[in-house]
Amino acid sequence: MNTLWLLTKKNLTLLLRAKTSALVVIFGPLLLMLVLGVSYNTSEPYQLTVGVHASGSGEDLQKFMDGLREEGFTVITYDQSIDACVQQMKLNIVHTCLNLPENFAVEGNTQKEITFYLDPSRIHLVAPIQNVLQKKFQLQVQQTSQQISQDLLSRLTVTKTTLSEKKSLLALAQEKNNFAANAAGTAQNTLAGLDVSVPENNYNTSVVAALQTELSGAQEKISQASEVLEEANISGASKSDILSLLSGAGAALTSAAVSVSGEENGSSTGIASVISGLESDLQITKTKLTAAATAVAGSAEQLSSTTGALQESVSALEGMATAINEVQANLDAQKVTDPAVVAAPLVAKVEEVAPPKTHLSYLFPILLVVVVMFTSLLLGTTLVMMEKNSPAFLRNYFVPIKKITFVASTYLTTLIVLFVQISVILGISLVFMKETLPVVPSLFGLLFISGSVFTFLGMSIGYLFTSEETSVLASISTGSLLLFVSGAVLPVESISPVLQKIMAFSPFVLAEKLLRQVLVFKTSFADMGFDILVLAGYALILLLVILIAESLLHQHLAHRFMKHRHKIHRQMEKREKSGGM
Amino acid sequence: MVRIELKEVTKEYRKVPVLQDVNLIIEEGDVYGIIGKSGSGKTTLLNLITGFLDPSEGSITYTTSTGEELDIEEHHSRIKKHLGFTPQHNSFYHKLTVKENLLHFGKLYGLQHDTLIANAKALLEITQLFDHRNKLAEHLAQGMQRRLDIACSLIHKPKVLILDEPTADLDPLLQQEILHLLQDVNQQGVTIVVASHHLDSVEDLCNKVAVIHNGRVHSHGLIDDVKKPFLREHFTINLRSGSNKELLIAALRKLPVEKIVDKGSQLVIYPLNQPQHIEKTVSSLLRFIKEENLYLHDMHFRKPTLHEVFEKIAQKPAL
Repeated sequence: MNTLWLLTKKNLTLLLRAKTSALVVIFGPLLLMLVLGVSYNTSEPYQLTVGVHASGSGEDLQKFMDGLREEGFTVITYDQSIDACVQQMKLNIVHTCLNLPENFAVEGNTQKEITFYLDPSRIHLVAPIQNVLQKKFQLQVQQTSQQISQDLLSRLTVTKTTLSEKKSLLALAQEKNNFAANAAGTAQNTLAGLDVSVPENNYNTSVVAALQTELSGAQEKISQASEVLEEANISGASKSDILSLLSGAGAALTSAAVSVSGEENGSSTGIASVISGLESDLQITKTKLTAAATAVAGSAEQLSSTTGALQESVSALEGMATAINEVQANLDAQKVTDPAVVAAPLVAKVEEVAPPKTHLSYLFPILLVVVVMFTSLLLGTTLVMMEKNSPAFLRNYFVPIKKITFVASTYLTTLIVLFVQISVILGISLVFMKETLPVVPSLFGLLFISGSVFTFLGMSIGYLFTSEETSVLASISTGSLLLFVSGAVLPVESISPVLQKIMAFSPFVLAEKLLRQVLVFKTSFADMGFDILVLAGYALILLLVILIAESLLHQHLAHRFMKHRHKIHRQMEKREKSGGM
Repeated sequence: MVRIELKEVTKEYRKVPVLQDVNLIIEEGDVYGIIGKSGSGKTTLLNLITGFLDPSEGSITYTTSTGEELDIEEHHSRIKKHLGFTPQHNSFYHKLTVKENLLHFGKLYGLQHDTLIANAKALLEITQLFDHRNKLAEHLAQGMQRRLDIACSLIHKPKVLILDEPTADLDPLLQQEILHLLQDVNQQGVTIVVASHHLDSVEDLCNKVAVIHNGRVHSHGLIDDVKKPFLREHFTINLRSGSNKELLIAALRKLPVEKIVDKGSQLVIYPLNQPQHIEKTVSSLLRFIKEENLYLHDMHFRKPTLHEVFEKIAQKPAL
């Protein structure tokens, strides 16, 4: 037991004294845990960026977008078109796109459409995005439906109130109409009771004609007499004639008088009689007319009341009609009449921005980057360590070769191995994913850049550490860290926003993003310019770091190498001496 | 490159002097040994000569055959093309064959193909590795590996070959192999600078030495010149006198000798300290033997070895 403890203690001591080993072995995993802990120690929902294109800019849209922001989404609006958003989605700048209508107000029996754009290649994000947005969408549907129902109810209430209010008008009209009907009835009866019969007496009007004739004869005789008087030198004859005429005229007048009086023969056929009859009739008529006038006056009064009542009734009815018109207008204003639309005024349409493929196609970019990353990191580190620990390291210092040539040879070696490896992988993948063939040159280009970054990173680690084991462990740890915070294993959207922004620039994330764009979306190099530049920038910076480290460390390393060898030599000498003793 | 000159060279690590005021001149064709205890600064001195380290003070100059003086700090790239360096431990790729190693390093020096092949062939022959040229370096025996290492340093035909402990970890036979190889190389006109703590090997190989002690060059120059100050302490005459020993002792007492030790059949004579006394003692002794017609079975002179000289130096306190 003591021996066991002794050996264990020795191991621990050695481990702690080998500083880099201790650093990597003990603190490496702790550091990894620390980074992951800090990264994922958040209960905030997924930090998703939503691109929104809306044809309008109404209040409800703003409210909807504010709601998204409150949910923790970052909302980017695209005024021009949804295509710009979809393009940025492919570039991984936004996670999903929403194409919204000009507003959420449904004004007819047509449902309004919200289109969600999802990227199926981001497998782990599709479901969460869909869930969260679906929830948000359902809420909006509920709100809009509620709004429509509210409108409907308001209109019903208004109708009810209006009708209730105007109901009295109907009663009034009814009352007035009843009154008018009664008044009209009374007037009708009154008028019906009027004696407007005309006396049916026959008047002998021949008397008048005879009188007229006689009067005409008398007139003629008088006229003749007058003429005789003028022409004659009044003679006897003439006088007689005149007298005769005048007598005749007199007779005629008498006859006319008789005719007028009607006293001749005691008959009552004379004009007087006629006139008397007429007077009698007129009296009767006058009486009747007086009664009629009274009745008419009464009826007029009745009718006047009736008119008033009817006018009131008309007013009431007009009021009613207005009210009904208002109600109708109010009801007509309700455009949504389809129950289906009331129940679901908004419909969601999901569109995938990538063509449907197998999961392998979507995972392939990640797999490629994982292979490239670990191969490059480990090869870069191992080759540097091999060179550093090679017995020939010191000799290389004396050869007239620039240091950059050694760096370049390590880099080239890694690239050759990587090229072979990638060729095999892509060759096999073409069997399953024939559509990959056209983008193979682009893939090689991107893998070359990514491989360069990881190779230089691996080489940097190689220069940093002294033993091959620790450097390889450091490489694996670095690779694991990059993998863990890339979103390939754990969703990067669930880490804190600040770190998320930083992690977006991780070489793994960039490489995976670029490969995904080429493999899934067939994006052109021009559209990925920024990311490619960033990756190339990393490669350049790391190369500069390596060259600086090489230049600063080479002599130091060589010296250390010599000291190390010298030490081994002395130890061997001591062992030999002690063995000899 | 015909001459290497170190002038007042000092090297400090973190302000602690490792080497101080080193003044050396290595001439063309020299086999120059640098000796000293472990940690005395031998390797540092070699590193300064190769330009691997820059001196804190002083200068190291290489003079070309045209008389051009090149400071190593300024012309390191140019100078190192003419340097071959064999570090203390093998410095080649173990997973390459002998031939591949030679060709690899030859190509790094930019040799033309024909030249490279010719050089490689010559080196394989001189190092007796021709039959093993297709073997992986790691499969070679220790001595062969050392020879391969030297061959790798010579592939570009350097003017100067610098070796750090070339015989370290080798058994005496292998040490002899390497020494012969280096002598052959030197005969081809290559100046050799070798740091070693195998003083016997250095004595056999080198014509000049520099003794480093406590960070300073204690003495340097031809080996005999370096030994001279120590002759008095280590020069002895051993005689096997036969029957007239007493007569011989009486005669020797008249000579400038410090003491005579009678070891039975052998007399050990320690001359007085000054070199002129040693010469005088020897000539007087020879004359005396001739005059007295004494019979000597055997007589030999023994100078101090480099090892003895070095031990004497090493006993001196730090300056």
